[in-house]
Amino acid sequence: MFKKVLIANRGEIAVRVIRSCREMGIPAVAVFSDADRHSLHVRYADEAYRLGPPKASESYLLMDKIIKIAKDCGADAIHPGYGFLAERADFSQACLDNGITFIGPKPASITAMGNKQMARNTVRGAGVPVIPGTEGKDDLTDQELLDLAPEIGFPLLVKPSAGGGGKGMREVQNIEEMPSLLAASRREAESSFGDGNIYLEKLIQGARHIEIQILADQHGNVIHLGERECSLQRRHQKILEEAPSPFIGEDQEMRDRMGTIAVQAARSVDYINAGTIEFLVDKEKNFYFLEMNTRLQVEHPVTEAVTGIDIVKEQIRIAAGKELSFQQEDMQLQGWAMECRVNAEDPFRGFIPSTGTISHSLLPAGPGVRVDTGIYSGFEISPYYDALVSKVIVHGKTREKTIARMKRVLKEYRLIGIRTNIPLHLALLDNPDFLAGEFDTQFVQDDILLESEVDPDNGLPEIAALTAVLATYKANQLSAVDIDRGKSKLSNWKLAGRREQTDS
Amino acid sequence: MSSEKYYATIDGTDYVIEITSDTNATVNGKPRLIDYQQIKQGSSCSLLVDGKYYEPTVYQENGGWEVLIQECRFNVQVEDERERRLRLASGESAITQGRFVLTSPMPGMVIDIPVKEGDEVSRGDVLVVLESMKMQNELIAPRDGVVSQIQAQVNDNVERKEALLTLE
Repeated sequence: MFKKVLIANRGEIAVRVIRSCREMGIPAVAVFSDADRHSLHVRYADEAYRLGPPKASESYLLMDKIIKIAKDCGADAIHPGYGFLAERADFSQACLDNGITFIGPKPASITAMGNKQMARNTVRGAGVPVIPGTEGKDDLTDQELLDLAPEIGFPLLVKPSAGGGGKGMREVQNIEEMPSLLAASRREAESSFGDGNIYLEKLIQGARHIEIQILADQHGNVIHLGERECSLQRRHQKILEEAPSPFIGEDQEMRDRMGTIAVQAARSVDYINAGTIEFLVDKEKNFYFLEMNTRLQVEHPVTEAVTGIDIVKEQIRIAAGKELSFQQEDMQLQGWAMECRVNAEDPFRGFIPSTGTISHSLLPAGPGVRVDTGIYSGFEISPYYDALVSKVIVHGKTREKTIARMKRVLKEYRLIGIRTNIPLHLALLDNPDFLAGEFDTQFVQDDILLESEVDPDNGLPEIAALTAVLATYKANQLSAVDIDRGKSKLSNWKLAGRREQTDS
Repeated sequence: MSSEKYYATIDGTDYVIEITSDTNATVNGKPRLIDYQQIKQGSSCSLLVDGKYYEPTVYQENGGWEVLIQECRFNVQVEDERERRLRLASGESAITQGRFVLTSPMPGMVIDIPVKEGDEVSRGDVLVVLESMKMQNELIAPRDGVVSQIQAQVNDNVERKEALLTLE
């Protein structure tokens, strides 16, 4: 086993990996930027080293510095988490070159899956269904794309070959609007990923996003851990995930079929370690390969809950050359799990990110609850990284019981000082279509505007009015106290000004 | 201690609230026993009204207050008697008129300003697109108005609370 593992990440996922290392008796090393000096991952680790200023390009993306820290402190393995360097083949290679084990796939596997078009061609060759499109043809000109479009059929999607996150993607309804949308997509792809290559794909309407978790060891064993339902997304960012998928539910035959295909896709790139095959599933239960994420996923805890497997520990064991300790037949999904991503954003105001200090954090607890987070009371949410504050994961016997539990848990959660999207989650958990398991990737509209519905008879408006008046009254009282303070060295103006600044 | 009279407005409905002491108030003439405590200097508070417990969160926002109680959100404008007299005398509604300066709610980079000076905008129109925390965020007009000045430029790095644009 490894002597020491360095975690090249921050926030909740770094804490998550540290926890598994600790339980395995492996010392964990954290790295941090100046913005994260007081983060939990720094405080929980056995050792922690500064990387640099807050910007990711000057801290968490500094490959050479991270590798040097690992060598200097005697870490013989690096866990990349997700994001940052997790899907960088050059980082995986650099670790290899420096005699450090990269806890993840080989560089060639990352490269093969990194270019979406190349990945589609590879898995198609291995018998994995892909969405009809311009697959197998690289570097097409606008004219060639226009000629191919009618064959594929409208509506269709224009997608950049590189990158992800929905950047550069365009929906095309007809040939007339296509030329301008092609140009826009190329422009955005070029500026976002430095690669203007684009391709076409048929738009599957009413599709769901369902993914399969894979584990592959160095001894040729590849197994899948069932599916995760990730259709609830806003602007291509997942917000609520569950396992199993209510769409697959009792259909074990479909689960096995998707799992087998996912294993084939992983084998086609000699995949090792944990990975995820994402599929689009249409209403007729046809499924198509979307992409493979060659890393640990944000939503991995729902799979851990229903399988009882610690995926991070398995990643570490696999990287250390151990054989998987279970087989496909051992995989039995137990109950239902759900994850809500709590983001620092204001659902009542167009989901504007909310930065600031968390003055008070009270985590939910009780049966069947897990919270993965890197924050605490007094933590400052900085604008440098993504808006994910915490992941709330619950496990129950059935979907209904899990939903009831999630509602209970989110109402217990207190995060004061920043706005969060918890009201959006609570609205989803009450939505009749969600409760019926009937939704697709378009279910949460990009421009969703949350309106709080107020029962006029519950007396809350009056309480709100009273609260605001009392807040005003208290503020006025504080100002009055300042004026009384004649002997203070500071002028009253300064005191009042300071108070105004700290109040906001 | 003299009592203080306030006017709170939520969606056009007025509440006349008089604070008669630290433990007594009247709301639209009805007496209420109150006990208001802040929780850990945060924006959350513990409020007892006639013995019933509430845990509202209050933020100062755009010259008014935003109050969250049990997943319900309220925008509350509060005026004391003097402010109300002044406003009524000038014949203006505090919310729908006057100058509104759009400030950056967070540090970030200005990606787009889809309006220009002199444009008439409606409530909900996008005024500025700001990139922060790896997301593009649309800052919208809180009310109808005319863009009188644009302080920010595309590609500017702005700090929190920096003025971006002014509506008249």
